[in-house]
Amino acid sequence: MKPYTPLTLAVLALVIGPIGIAVFVLGFVHGDSPCVLCWAQRTGMVLIALTGLFVIRFGPRPRYIGLAVLLAAFGIYMGLRHSSLHLWRDVGQGFSAEIFGAHTYTWSMFIYWVSVVMMGALLLMLKDGQAASEARRLRPLERVTLWLFLLAAAGNAVQAFASTGPPPYMGQGDPVRFSFNPAHWVWSLEEWRPAPISLRGRWAIEKPDVGLARADPDGSPLAAVPVLAASRRATIALPLDGPIADLAYNEATDRFLVTTEKGIYITDGALSRVLRHTVVDTMFSVDLARLAAGTFLAPDTVLAVSENKSYVVLRESDRADAVANFRYFLASFDRFEELSRSRFTTVRAKMMYVMAVAFDPGTGSIFTMTVPNAKARRLVVSRFDRRDMTLSEEFTPELAPGSGLAFKAKDGSLDAFYVTGAAFHGGRIYAISAAFGTLLTIDPATRTVTSARAIPGLDRPVGIAIKGAEAFIVDAAGGLTIVPLAP
Amino acid sequence: MPSPLWHDPAVEFLNFIIIFAAGYLVLRHPERERLAFRLLVASSVLMAALFLIGARGSILPGLNY
Repeated sequence: MKPYTPLTLAVLALVIGPIGIAVFVLGFVHGDSPCVLCWAQRTGMVLIALTGLFVIRFGPRPRYIGLAVLLAAFGIYMGLRHSSLHLWRDVGQGFSAEIFGAHTYTWSMFIYWVSVVMMGALLLMLKDGQAASEARRLRPLERVTLWLFLLAAAGNAVQAFASTGPPPYMGQGDPVRFSFNPAHWVWSLEEWRPAPISLRGRWAIEKPDVGLARADPDGSPLAAVPVLAASRRATIALPLDGPIADLAYNEATDRFLVTTEKGIYITDGALSRVLRHTVVDTMFSVDLARLAAGTFLAPDTVLAVSENKSYVVLRESDRADAVANFRYFLASFDRFEELSRSRFTTVRAKMMYVMAVAFDPGTGSIFTMTVPNAKARRLVVSRFDRRDMTLSEEFTPELAPGSGLAFKAKDGSLDAFYVTGAAFHGGRIYAISAAFGTLLTIDPATRTVTSARAIPGLDRPVGIAIKGAEAFIVDAAGGLTIVPLAP
Repeated sequence: MPSPLWHDPAVEFLNFIIIFAAGYLVLRHPERERLAFRLLVASSVLMAALFLIGARGSILPGLNY
């Protein structure tokens, strides 16, 4: 085999395959029209092919190799960036044409990767001194390859003119079907419109911060919210490892669960003594980040949920293997067994964090509730099945007819509430909002808010537990406000 | 509609014309290698700029990090 034959065949495959088929078959025959990102991906492949032709014609000069590496590296980035718009969709979904089960923009990742591999292989075959060669006389196969390249480049120019137009028009985000009929050509300037530049786009979501919640009840979107006065106040004075994140109560054992950012504390029914605790290694395996909520799943089993909807399930044990538990915990290694550590996956709440969890033992349902952020403001209640910890239902509650509740504004909504704690009791979810210091009662069966009560004196609460006929509302510093349950 | 950047000929059609010209020089006028390579580099920069314009809303792949 001649020295340049492998490279020529590689360029030929690139020209005939992804470049030629894209324009002549997908484009001219099937009407496929690249979007603005597809155009750049295709152009990058054309440029890599052209760089290969430079090597064939002038020898493997360092600047050709350097440019080819840069093009391939940028091409892999383009493939990742473009595919990321669709990788998370359901199976089979995508944008535009599919080839062998994968859409065109995902194929480019593979093609650019193959280009890198090919360059590495060809460099390995390079002999010392070959890099300084003069312009070569082209052999027939090389000449055919160059002509085919020019044909493909011309074809792309024709398609680009029809699809994107002359300068300053450029490719579109959602182009129309390709046609040779000028009546169907759409030339657009949409991509020139001023738009914010962002590194992470819509995925740049700030972490929840209860301190940012507007505590003043007067700011509530609800009109004339009845006031629910505290029956008494207290302070939790327990040796905890940090600020309190949530509170839960188990009636069967008359014990509370106090959750901190990493800590799990089982206390007595008076919240005066820690009976059992551990500190979870939140960085091990599944990233639990900051624990934000906790609840009892059974008298001896607790669930702690992080802001990012990751969770850990722990069971109390007096025979736990402290050595085996080293990986799970940072302290008190022999008081719990870790049953599972994984993540809740949502649909409507995907771009929001949660700070509240409640458990309905009757139906085996776990409820989480979202907190709003700058990009996504929507109160979403997600219900998960305890058996497989998988999403069963999601809803955005509305005001119950006949509840007497109404919004101040015509377009008012519950989205501004910052629910930081929840508890299930008597078929209702009791949700405490750090914003406006309001206790919401939600009926999951009708997906409605049946009552709302403003509780004076609350300072951005973070958790709620129901004990008997009272709600224990706690803030991060341990301040406890006890109110009678709203009807 | 905002005024386009008329001074910036960053468009796909023009880019393929540049590519075609570079390829033609490689085939028919190898003595113009320097010009051909400059066209290749210019086209590469143009391609990258076009992609980044289209992707400026989220420069990084839009995934959970």
